[in-house]
Amino acid sequence: MIEVHDVRKQFGDVHALGGVSFSARDGQITALLGPNGAGKTTLLRTLVGLLKRDHGTIAIDGVDPERDPLSVRRNIGFLTDQFGLYERLSTREYLSYFGELNGMGGAALKSRIDEVSDLLSMDDILERRTKGFSQGQRIKVALARTLLHRPRNLLLDEPSRGLDVMSTRALRRALSSLREDGCCVIMATHVMQEVTHLCDDVIVIAKGHTVAQGTPNDLCRRTGIQNLEDAFVSLVGEEGIAA
Amino acid sequence: MKPRFLTICLKELRETLREKRTVGLLVLFTVMYPVMFGVLMQQLIDRATRSEREGIELAVIGAGKAPTLMAQLKQKNITVRESAALDEPAIEALLQKGKVVGVLRLSDKFTENYAAMRPARVELWYDSAAEKNGQRREVEDVLEAYGANVASARLLAHGVSPATLAPIQVQRYDTGTNASRSAGLIGGMLSMLFFPAFFCGMSAAVDSTAGERERRSMEVLMAQPARAWEIVTGKWLMAGTLALAGLTLELLLAHVVLGWLPLEELGMSWSLNWLDITLICVVGLPLALLAAALQIALAMNAKSFKEAQSTLSVVLLLPMLPGVVVSMMELKTSLWMYAVPMLSNQTLLREVSKGVEVGALPYVLTFLSAALPTLAVVAFASWRMKSERYVLAV
Repeated sequence: MIEVHDVRKQFGDVHALGGVSFSARDGQITALLGPNGAGKTTLLRTLVGLLKRDHGTIAIDGVDPERDPLSVRRNIGFLTDQFGLYERLSTREYLSYFGELNGMGGAALKSRIDEVSDLLSMDDILERRTKGFSQGQRIKVALARTLLHRPRNLLLDEPSRGLDVMSTRALRRALSSLREDGCCVIMATHVMQEVTHLCDDVIVIAKGHTVAQGTPNDLCRRTGIQNLEDAFVSLVGEEGIAA
Repeated sequence: MKPRFLTICLKELRETLREKRTVGLLVLFTVMYPVMFGVLMQQLIDRATRSEREGIELAVIGAGKAPTLMAQLKQKNITVRESAALDEPAIEALLQKGKVVGVLRLSDKFTENYAAMRPARVELWYDSAAEKNGQRREVEDVLEAYGANVASARLLAHGVSPATLAPIQVQRYDTGTNASRSAGLIGGMLSMLFFPAFFCGMSAAVDSTAGERERRSMEVLMAQPARAWEIVTGKWLMAGTLALAGLTLELLLAHVVLGWLPLEELGMSWSLNWLDITLICVVGLPLALLAAALQIALAMNAKSFKEAQSTLSVVLLLPMLPGVVVSMMELKTSLWMYAVPMLSNQTLLREVSKGVEVGALPYVLTFLSAALPTLAVVAFASWRMKSERYVLAV
């Protein structure tokens, strides 16, 4: 459960976040929609406690990431817009490293790696060094790292970019099973089809403000537009897109 | 459960050691230096002791014309090799072989001019680039003494005292020894022995900070449940381990090489036993860690591998500074030198190799002079990594 209330963040004269409020419930996949530069990356970094907010409150399962960033991060799987692979390590070594950083170890870690590998069907690349991996393979490895420590909350920045149809389906299955397990998933994306197929809730932000929150159908109803993409554009407004 | 900084350290170490080319270069550099040092020293020793061992060889053309001169040359332990008439290129070729110190050519009219008491020409051909000037001077001394003798005899025959020809008498005293001549050079080379501390961990330090940032994996790492100091410490210990391994390996190798050379011939000594060299290695530990900490603290602020590398190559010159200043100002060894990192290690090694009993204080000072700044630098780097400005640019 992630609750954000009126979070603001300013860098010098730039208002990166001017007042973001939403709540993402457990057992739901929440889409985070917003044009480039809307403040998504800043928001996600603030959620994991890398940046300090100027104003407002954040509670992740009731814990403030500013107060106790370590226990918040233990319960968060964070997939950034960069995968952060180490080319000289094999997939298994890479996953072991992040598992140990999250306090796992020994046989439990080993079997968990196999489990995640099964889930994302990446057995073929488990023992290979990550150098020369395709985009799809890279994102699978990064996603495996995100899921490894069984976080209750997932922050995913465009998880499906560069994936082929098969991998996209594997990703959707993985996300659905996480939802059934009662995880809270926030997924920043630009693919409207994915939102309609997968997401229970949608948050729209533009220029550092929350513009709307609701189910995809809610948003369409509110704007009176059938198509989600058109509804999104109308919510953000032309100027939001230009920014 | 492994501490997180250890997890990070081991992973970085594994990654670095997989880069075969970098590791190979480091090993090569570390091993090459003591070996080169040894070869150079061997040459110095050879050169300094050559004349004593081998004597001086001189080729003479027309030796039969001046038997007395030849006898005097032989008295001075100069081996005369009689040679047939040679032309200029042949003489050059002979000199280039380096066997003879010079070629002495008595002119065709030598006997005639000598008998007529006209200056009889003797040519001395030599190669000034061959670094046999000392030996050449010995030959010239013999020639001069021979000339002076003949002149005295002739003056005496005319009833003039030979003393008239010598209004002053120059007596030369050379206090320079081979040791004092080469001491400066060797001192410099001993100081260089500590460079692996700064060299060996550098590329790993850069790769794990600026490189990680450039590849955009730093953000992922920082979003893990690890504190900033744990990340910094892990990377610092990794670079420090490499620096320490390089330094220790090189010092031990140097110890073997130097113990093997006949340094006494130069009036020098390497009077270190294995306990001494172990102590030197132990006080080298904080130096290696300091170097690694500095490199991490600087490289983490650079945005790319290249940027960090150029910053650090400037910093690489810094540890040379105290040594150069001290040798330029010709300062005598004193206690404060043990409080300056790098300089302290150099001074300590120099003193101990001379066989000076320094006591415990210099060791303690050397250790602390590097250890305390190291902790400060690591603390600074951790503080820096936590700062928002750093997170933003990651």
